[in-house]
Amino acid sequence: MAETASRFLSRMFQLIAMAMQAEKDHLSELDGAVGDADHGITMALGFAAVNSAVARLDLDKVLPSEVLSAAASAFLDAVGASTGPLYATAFRKAAQVLKQDESLSPAGQVAIVEAIAQGIKDRGKGQRGDKTMLDAWIPAMEAAVAARERGAEPDEMWRDIVAAGETGANATRSMVAARGRAARLGERSLGHVDPGAASAVIILRAMRDTFA
Amino acid sequence: MASKTSPTGKLTAGKTGQTDVADAMPLRYGDDPYVWACWLYYEEGRTQHDIAEIMGISRATVNSYLADARSRGIVNISLEPSRLSSLAIAQELKRHFGLQDCLVVPSDDGSRTLIDRLGTAGGQAMAKLLKSGDTLAVAWGRTVLAIAENTAVTGLQDVTIVQATGGTRASFAYTPELCASAMAEATGAKLINISAPAIVSNAEVQSAFLREPLIEEQFAALGRANKALFGVSSLRPNSTIHTSGFFESVSIQHYLAKNAVGVVAGRFIDPQGHAVAGPLDERTIGISLDMLQKIGMRIAVAGGFDKVPAILAALRGGFINVLITDAATGRGILNADGVTEIDQRLAQRTRGEGPVPLPSNVRTHIKKFLNNPDQVVDEMLEGVLKAHAGYIAPIKGSNRALVARNGPRAGKVGLVIGGGTGHEPCFLGYVGKGLADAVAVGNIFSSPPPGPILECARAASGGQGVLFVYGNYAGDVMNFEMAAEMAHEEDIPVRTVLTTDDIASSPVEDREGRRGVAGNFFMFKIAGAACDRGLSLSECEAVTRKANDRTFTIGVALEPCSLPQTRRHNFEIGPDDIEIGMGIHGERGVVRDRMMSADQITDRIIDRIFGEMNAQPGDRVAVLVNSFGATPLMELYILFRRVEQRLGAKNITIATNWVGHYCTSLDMVGASISILHLDQELSDLLRHPCDSAALRIN
Repeated sequence: MAETASRFLSRMFQLIAMAMQAEKDHLSELDGAVGDADHGITMALGFAAVNSAVARLDLDKVLPSEVLSAAASAFLDAVGASTGPLYATAFRKAAQVLKQDESLSPAGQVAIVEAIAQGIKDRGKGQRGDKTMLDAWIPAMEAAVAARERGAEPDEMWRDIVAAGETGANATRSMVAARGRAARLGERSLGHVDPGAASAVIILRAMRDTFA
Repeated sequence: MASKTSPTGKLTAGKTGQTDVADAMPLRYGDDPYVWACWLYYEEGRTQHDIAEIMGISRATVNSYLADARSRGIVNISLEPSRLSSLAIAQELKRHFGLQDCLVVPSDDGSRTLIDRLGTAGGQAMAKLLKSGDTLAVAWGRTVLAIAENTAVTGLQDVTIVQATGGTRASFAYTPELCASAMAEATGAKLINISAPAIVSNAEVQSAFLREPLIEEQFAALGRANKALFGVSSLRPNSTIHTSGFFESVSIQHYLAKNAVGVVAGRFIDPQGHAVAGPLDERTIGISLDMLQKIGMRIAVAGGFDKVPAILAALRGGFINVLITDAATGRGILNADGVTEIDQRLAQRTRGEGPVPLPSNVRTHIKKFLNNPDQVVDEMLEGVLKAHAGYIAPIKGSNRALVARNGPRAGKVGLVIGGGTGHEPCFLGYVGKGLADAVAVGNIFSSPPPGPILECARAASGGQGVLFVYGNYAGDVMNFEMAAEMAHEEDIPVRTVLTTDDIASSPVEDREGRRGVAGNFFMFKIAGAACDRGLSLSECEAVTRKANDRTFTIGVALEPCSLPQTRRHNFEIGPDDIEIGMGIHGERGVVRDRMMSADQITDRIIDRIFGEMNAQPGDRVAVLVNSFGATPLMELYILFRRVEQRLGAKNITIATNWVGHYCTSLDMVGASISILHLDQELSDLLRHPCDSAALRIN
């Protein structure tokens, strides 16, 4: 079971890396409106590093939690910046949660989404409405928990999670940034989707394509 | 000249008829009767009848000349830009949200607060909107009180003012009771208070209150209101909703978690304007959202960009049909709802010309000296380490963590600096004896990760602790904090000073939120000298903090920078625009302004710095005029010239100065001015010898 699960995560990171590469310019453009236009570069670089770190693992032997730990360190060392500590903390937290149950069952998938959202929240000390990646991750987490509670099938669960993340990311358009570099733009951050929320949706979609 | 010639024209032209137009026309108008007609009409203020006589043509011809002159662009009618834009924004808000009316006050002229300006505008609006026989429900808030204080309506009969919510025991100046009574006084109206608290302990108390005949009566009056006046509150951390004490903060957190973005008349709403249910609903005594929606005229007065999401929500929910706001907020609301044409239209109108057509040979890429765009940082570091081998060396073979060859020594506090690349000679140029002991190097404009920072801390540690000095950016803070935690685990004490010298990046009340820019140069120098002199960790920290508190920087960009990977500008600065309050990462500035002369730009910066720097005649300062990358020394000296004039006029002495490339932003065109307000201790430390690749003081 553990082998399959680790391969699932490896596949997930490959999908994320490919999507980040494809969306690189788009994300950087979004970032150009409110930041320094490198978000796409940073995310593509970070997940490329995650991929090569995961590729060095023996996926028949390592546990899913170890895949996530390796991903956390690789991402952090490759990018630094603000996304580095945020996603590194998120993946580390997810790794800790997986140690309780390495099966990647639907409940485990929900736990990963929860851990990612919580890790980002803890590290960035942010909350919903700050116009950050949390505006995608928190609604996604809520949708995941709701789906678990009503015992939804994985297909339906991931459809809800991605839809909630997308709605949340789109809602950042009418928010005023409270954290990160965009916070210093004041009202000039209005009317633009937060690039961190946009890349969060890309991750969520790749997770859906892996699990559902 | 025109006024002298026209009377003679008037005498002769009437008789001679149209054939003599050319003769009667003064030479200065060439052979263009349109220009002459326009001159007479617009500049001399003649009537069309007079002009017809002067020019010897029919009045109908004059009329068509004037009309043609506008369509041919001889005459441009222009309204004063700030009034024009507020009018245009008001019209657009009215159209987009289907409002009955909308009043937008022009943008800040700097002389009065926003609340004050909204109060005046609201007062004028009330005089127009309030009629005899009206019942007006009045909510509470700073803006509402400002309106009441600015309203003076006389001659109305049978007006009733009803307090829209219960009262409060919180001790702020703009309570519901006070707002309603001030408005009643200002309009000569009858006042009906709600004699119950706005928030009661529980649902039973609430229903008990609502059953009281007196309060039932007061609510019935509230139900008869045909007009309502209220503010819109945001739920952002610094908003008055948190500080007023009207709501308990525990309850607010509950609503925030359920995605509430604003408060209208004491009720929480989400981004779509739907009511958000929560623990206060059954404990609130006041107008409900349903009641509010049934009132015919619902006047909201609110401004400030932090309120944009809340106002937008209230508009979407249909709680507002008359909006009074300011131009910046109004534009923000439109942008937030995806209406961006307003910006283009305003830009065109105020410039009086169409969009600038792109030349056919428009460039898509900036030329740069590159091999592999993904390897720029590593290739640069290879070059740096060869060029400055005498000063810096890699730690454990990694070029991302560099140590000063003559830096760390036992018994000395270690100084670690760092940040993204693209700012050269920041940060690695300031590593050397008497300056920083080690530097962590990130990607372009990105913080280094904790790993190399920890290596730097280890290398710099001389047993007396390590001082981290770096710019205040979310990414740097997270990575350096993680590294500091790891260093503590290894028993290396770490203290941190975040540099926050960019005074344009946040108002003075939010000093800690400001970012660190070129003033880093001063902080590194002071911290390096303090460490080199053998001061303790806390002394080094304290004096660096003092330097930061006394350093003031503002940057101005003329053109944006371009990243090596994209070789494109991150955003565009218009042909006649500049960005004031520019950071050093290619992010936008704080405000956009028209291009000005060097002295005007310097004056803008210096005025702002003088506003914060409490310098007396006879005081001494250090000055840094810094290029963002592409601005040449020639222009920096022109800026420095004016800085010196302004300081000299205040009898402030420039003890020492630097002009050049000290903290750049790739190839950005622009410059920053930093002033360090010296005292004896800082002067001594600034003079302390140092030797690094970018700075040497003997």
